[in-house]
Amino acid sequence: MIHVEHISRSYQRGVEEVHALVNVSLEIASGHFVAFMGPSGSGKSTLLNIVAGIDRPTEGWVTVAGRHLNDLDEDETAQWRARHVGLIFQFFNLIPVLSARENVALPLLLTHLDRGERRRRAETALRVVGLSERADHSPKTLSGGEQQRVAIARAIVTDPDLIVADEPTGDLDARNAEEILALLRRLTDDFGKTIVMVTHDPRALRFVDDALHLDKGVLLEGAAAERAAEAIRIAAGGGLTTGAEGAP
Amino acid sequence: MKFAPFVFANLRRNPLRTLLTASAILLAVLLVCILLTMPAGLDGFFERVTNNTRISVHNKAGIVYQMPYSFTRKVRQLDGVAAAISQSWFGGAFEEEGRVSFPNFAVEAEHVGSVYPDYNVPQQQLEDFKRYRDGMIVGQATMKKYGWKIGDRVTLRSTVYPLNLDLRVVGEIPNSTPVAWINREYLDQALKSAGRGGLGVTGVIWARVSDPNRVNEIMRAIDEMSRNSESETATETEKSFFSSFFGSLQGFARIILLVTGLVALCIVFIAANTASMGVRERAPEIAVLKAIGFSRRVIFGTILAEAVLLSSVAGGLGVLVALGLTRMLHQASTWNQQLGPLASFMLTPAVLIQGLFLALFVGMLAGIAPSFGAARKPVVQALHEVF
Repeated sequence: MIHVEHISRSYQRGVEEVHALVNVSLEIASGHFVAFMGPSGSGKSTLLNIVAGIDRPTEGWVTVAGRHLNDLDEDETAQWRARHVGLIFQFFNLIPVLSARENVALPLLLTHLDRGERRRRAETALRVVGLSERADHSPKTLSGGEQQRVAIARAIVTDPDLIVADEPTGDLDARNAEEILALLRRLTDDFGKTIVMVTHDPRALRFVDDALHLDKGVLLEGAAAERAAEAIRIAAGGGLTTGAEGAP
Repeated sequence: MKFAPFVFANLRRNPLRTLLTASAILLAVLLVCILLTMPAGLDGFFERVTNNTRISVHNKAGIVYQMPYSFTRKVRQLDGVAAAISQSWFGGAFEEEGRVSFPNFAVEAEHVGSVYPDYNVPQQQLEDFKRYRDGMIVGQATMKKYGWKIGDRVTLRSTVYPLNLDLRVVGEIPNSTPVAWINREYLDQALKSAGRGGLGVTGVIWARVSDPNRVNEIMRAIDEMSRNSESETATETEKSFFSSFFGSLQGFARIILLVTGLVALCIVFIAANTASMGVRERAPEIAVLKAIGFSRRVIFGTILAEAVLLSSVAGGLGVLVALGLTRMLHQASTWNQQLGPLASFMLTPAVLIQGLFLALFVGMLAGIAPSFGAARKPVVQALHEVF
């Protein structure tokens, strides 16, 4: 599903050249739920943006669902994202002047679907995330957890191949964070969605199929990756198992 | 069209700001429309009150300088001149007011009907004006203003000559003019009685040309006739005379148009600033829209559409209000003679379209910079700046 080959990403910060990613290669199979983990500045968000077609690598190749993203220009990647990627952000980022249903239907404005079909699909997506009865509510009347569910519904409404989530539990309390992680897990299990998520949340380890650890722009492998995973488990108080078998 | 609800929703985001911006645009368009009626309105007014065969002859040095009264007869005798009349400013102040509140002139009673046939003063009243030396013919506006009627006696105190004249209203000019005519002979005799030697001069001579095609030729002939005399003349058409007389008004109109243009420009800046503020406030949302696949074209189009929609609706309302106002003034002028000239200030289809285009232009100009700024930013930069 996702093939990343020897990508690097560097950019200028004043006179300094920052290497956000250094020679990263990875593969993520279709229908897998994968977390990118690591300390701040490790390059996990940069990697997520490149996989989602938001950013592009300075070097290397990225292929998602059979499409070479390096070949696409800004407008083509926008078009590609609209069709193939669902995005979830830390701060939900719903449009406050639209209702939950209208927010969910927003990506469908970029399709050729008629108004009735857009409405029907938005309601289906809201039903999947358990918010059918809140369809007419405006975002400000919803709790943080509910807003993130609406954002997830917005991400899945176009039935994308890939869902990318940037710290989806970062702004939620423990109970809501668990519910959101469980919902994402269910999208993989029930609907076969491929999900890539950036998170600091050690609870995520119980829900994902795999956790990839980055540090200073490098994808950790072998013993280094083990040590990073162990550090996260210790930070979380131990007892957590990595992998989907730990999910409720 | 499918983005229309999204555009409408964004306009409802901050109702007060939207209302204030719309009000500013509405007022600007209203102001511009009203003022754009001025040049055409003034022209229409002059067309309405003037005659294309009547010409004025006055001293070349200026209208305040006199000419010999005898020159009137010379003009009258010129080939092609159907009639001519001498007109001298009396400057009579109505005794109850103490100031000149309507224009009044001493004219030759026997020539009024032939020089001003288009004024439609009834024949009997013209005859009475000739018969009674103390007769006065008064414009309808002044008659209504003071509630005078034919037969009333009025005393006017001249602000030019040291005398009062007791006058009798013998006729009414049946149009909205405020002007009043008194008998020149009466003034002449009153001056002689006061030891002032009579009225040997005239201010303006009005002549009616028999053939409209010969107006220019006759104007040249009159000026040629006075060449190298003590009082050289300047002859012009009635419309040109009144246009010059109200020349300062036209200059004023030009200044107002200039100011209006500047006001419109200010409104563009205000609207552009409002649109920019709106875009800045929505930077995180715009970044998210780009991330979920909204292209630069769609982002540009929806933001520009907001500005154009707001401006067009407000401008359209401004045009409607201007249309209502000018129609109201037109209606009012039919029952209030004081508003007579305002009847010419009508919102023509051309001005209406100009107003609508101005609104559209304001919207485009105000929206284009923030829309372009929001659209051109790469999605990754937009996300980095807000998250």
